[in-house]
Amino acid sequence: MDLIADKISIIQSLWPTMLKGLWMTFQVSMLAILLGSLIGFTLGVAKTLGYFVLEKLINGYLHILRGSPYLVQLYIIYFVLPSTGIAWLSFDSYTAAVVSLSLYTSSYVTEIVASAIVAVPSGQSEAARSVGMTRAQTYRNVVIPQALKLTIPPMASVYVIVIKSTAILSVIGFAELTRAGEIAIMRMPGDIMFIYCMIAAFYFMYCYPVLRFSKWAEGRFGSAGQIEH
Amino acid sequence: MNEPMIVIDSICKTYHLKTRPEPVRALDNVSNHVDRGEVVVVIGPSGSGKSTLLRSLNALQSVDSGRIVIDGIEVTNKKTDINKLRAEVGMVFQHFNLFQHKTALENIVMPQMIVAKRTREEAEDIANDLLQKVGIPDRANNYPSMLSGGQQQRVAIARSLAMKPKVMLFDEATSALDPETVGGVLELMRDLALGGMTMAVVTHEMGFAREAADRVIFMDEGAIIEENTPANFFDDPQTDRAQNFLRQIL
Repeated sequence: MDLIADKISIIQSLWPTMLKGLWMTFQVSMLAILLGSLIGFTLGVAKTLGYFVLEKLINGYLHILRGSPYLVQLYIIYFVLPSTGIAWLSFDSYTAAVVSLSLYTSSYVTEIVASAIVAVPSGQSEAARSVGMTRAQTYRNVVIPQALKLTIPPMASVYVIVIKSTAILSVIGFAELTRAGEIAIMRMPGDIMFIYCMIAAFYFMYCYPVLRFSKWAEGRFGSAGQIEH
Repeated sequence: MNEPMIVIDSICKTYHLKTRPEPVRALDNVSNHVDRGEVVVVIGPSGSGKSTLLRSLNALQSVDSGRIVIDGIEVTNKKTDINKLRAEVGMVFQHFNLFQHKTALENIVMPQMIVAKRTREEAEDIANDLLQKVGIPDRANNYPSMLSGGQQQRVAIARSLAMKPKVMLFDEATSALDPETVGGVLELMRDLALGGMTMAVVTHEMGFAREAADRVIFMDEGAIIEENTPANFFDDPQTDRAQNFLRQIL
């Protein structure tokens, strides 16, 4: 029917730009996850070491990042920082996107890693210390490997949050998926509903495999701890 | 070589809990010793401080005051290399505490390679040998979740023995086991004792205390109430508290 042919032609004409937008979304979310996880892992481990000042500092960092909307953080990094006049703080939209999203991601990952480390039974580190392992050896060989398994389910959720948060990047003109869709809407204002559905479908194409993969990873590597007798 | 292997000199440990108005004296001026090759069994009601005492010997538990010396090395001294000391003091836990993400063999090999810096071949030879000695050579490649409690505890004992310790500490090693498997592990512990290992054992197994201990120490409320040879202690307890305790459990 006419309706379907019409929709198919919309999909055909918008497919390239949307795909390019999805590719940008993929790039930024990948980078943010990698950098954010690196930062988050470091801070998560640091938080559990038992140094009062360090823990308070990290908690302060978390409060700031988790207590404000991502949009506001993005504005500060993209608009406010350059106005300070410091050269290297004047980010272009791509850098601002990656930096802000990485920091935002790290706030989630820090908590996830810290919680996972604390969830490893204390008997594990007691046994390791009892055979003469140092704190560092205990962390590296006994605690962290077991903690990492516990992070798999919540990390999948974080990844999906990051992917969806990239939509916010459209407000700084960054050419990711949502922005690509918005530009398409400006060209074809009559099909606004359908195009939004297309945008959602594209996000789904990205998010669904991620969730499936995480379910597999959970099964393969074991998730919420082993059963102790 | 007539210096005791373990010297415990007036140790105190007090807990200040928000839930209780008075501080809890977990260890109240406890002094004792364990000679080389001696097997000392510590018994007492729960909360008596026996686990606290045992765990203070390898510094898993800190003490507020007093001295603990193992083979001439002061455990309580901040300057002591505690990791080096712990490599020579084996500990077996009530809940086994095997490394869940490693096989039985790896559990025994890993500390040897990391702490004793042995090669993998050396470590595996020793590990397989010990798995044989503790009676489960065929379980080498099983993960702890696939092992029964008794098997896990045997692996745990092998893991400690692989470090060639001077002293073995047992913290209620059979309390989490099914009654049928308790006997097997106790037999293992008895063999160790007969082999001349210096052992400090916290247990509720009075049969083991009677048969394997050189000395029995009875604790209550953080203090040593009575100590004697097993025969004398079980047949003729001197103090009221010891008599009450024995009446309840025997």
